[in-house]
Amino acid sequence: MSVLAHFFESYGFSTVLVGFVKEHIEAIQPPRALWLDFPMGRPLGKPNDPEYQKKIIRSAFDLFNERSGPVLKDFPDIIPVKDGRMGYALPVELVLKKNEIGDINKLVKEVNDEINALKEDYEIAVSARKRTTVGASEMQISEFTNYISEFVRGNIPPSPRKGIGPIPQLKLVVEDLQAFYTETITYRDKVDDFEYLGTWFWEKTRAGRLILCLEAVSLESDNKILKQIVDMSLITPRFWSEGPLPGTSGSGW
Amino acid sequence: MVLIPEMPAIGRGFISRLEKYTFDNPAWTIPKEKSSRRVSIVSSAAISRRGDKPFSWLANNHRVIEKDNLDLVMTHVAVEYDRTAWQQDINTILPIDRLEEMAKNGEIGSVSNEHYSFIGSSDPIKMERSAKEVAERMKDDAVDTVFLVPV
Repeated sequence: MSVLAHFFESYGFSTVLVGFVKEHIEAIQPPRALWLDFPMGRPLGKPNDPEYQKKIIRSAFDLFNERSGPVLKDFPDIIPVKDGRMGYALPVELVLKKNEIGDINKLVKEVNDEINALKEDYEIAVSARKRTTVGASEMQISEFTNYISEFVRGNIPPSPRKGIGPIPQLKLVVEDLQAFYTETITYRDKVDDFEYLGTWFWEKTRAGRLILCLEAVSLESDNKILKQIVDMSLITPRFWSEGPLPGTSGSGW
Repeated sequence: MVLIPEMPAIGRGFISRLEKYTFDNPAWTIPKEKSSRRVSIVSSAAISRRGDKPFSWLANNHRVIEKDNLDLVMTHVAVEYDRTAWQQDINTILPIDRLEEMAKNGEIGSVSNEHYSFIGSSDPIKMERSAKEVAERMKDDAVDTVFLVPV
């Protein structure tokens, strides 16, 4: 964003940005920047807290009063994240091997049962919020499990979408599946704690187990793209985990 | 504060390898009076209207978000950041409602008809052409102020 700020300023716009990585902002020196000591993904701090969100915007827009730049100020509040991270990290010990997958048909049924049990609460959440973020894959929720499980079985099923390959589609389905779960729970249980939500999804749900199985298969796959997206922590949240996923180098970054 | 050297390995590796660009004689545009500012948001969250083409891994292009169509999905490749906040409240990454409230309160002039989204995992220098296209659209909409919001 810091580079884009330079571009837009040079096109005649006044710009201000908020950002998370202070050292990066200091290096690129955008005209006006407010540094947030927040977890990534939450640049306006807190969902459903309009006054707090406006406090951040006002602090950023106050930088328009500066006569010259670059100017970088710190937002005074801190929203802490555990262990020097900027987001949720899967525990390093939570890694499956292919020979631990077990009966995939049984797991598929368990995930579908789980989805069906959450469906009513999901629809209540969507109705209340008047929106859903589920749908990037453009597949029906009832299709998610079968599509993912084909990869766990070692197959590469055709993508149902023109112009989107099977593996990019897989990634969208995986994210849609997680969004279905977390949208439901954040509304139903009135919880806004991504550490709790990460632990719940990855350690308690069968859907989390299914994606860990996908990761296990992908690690040993001959398909370079499938292996690469796991190596780069693009399927499971290991970006902030201590040490790369066993079997990978993390060197893709 | 999380310092890059203290980050876990993969996160540290990615962020520390971000290319460092320098801008000689960087531009500085004098802001308009706050009551006449027309503000547009630029996001790097790879959000787009439902049905738009998903962002690819290293996409240099952008998506247009119309303020009257906020049925959005996210197709960012990265999963290292929290997505549960935006699932609960779009304003946590695209604070359109907050800007509208500030406009009504006279803290800014108005909010643009369009906002814009890029994918933050891509090399920003390669976004210059797309940024110019966005700038033209903003000028057509009389925008003078840009609020850049990462994810």
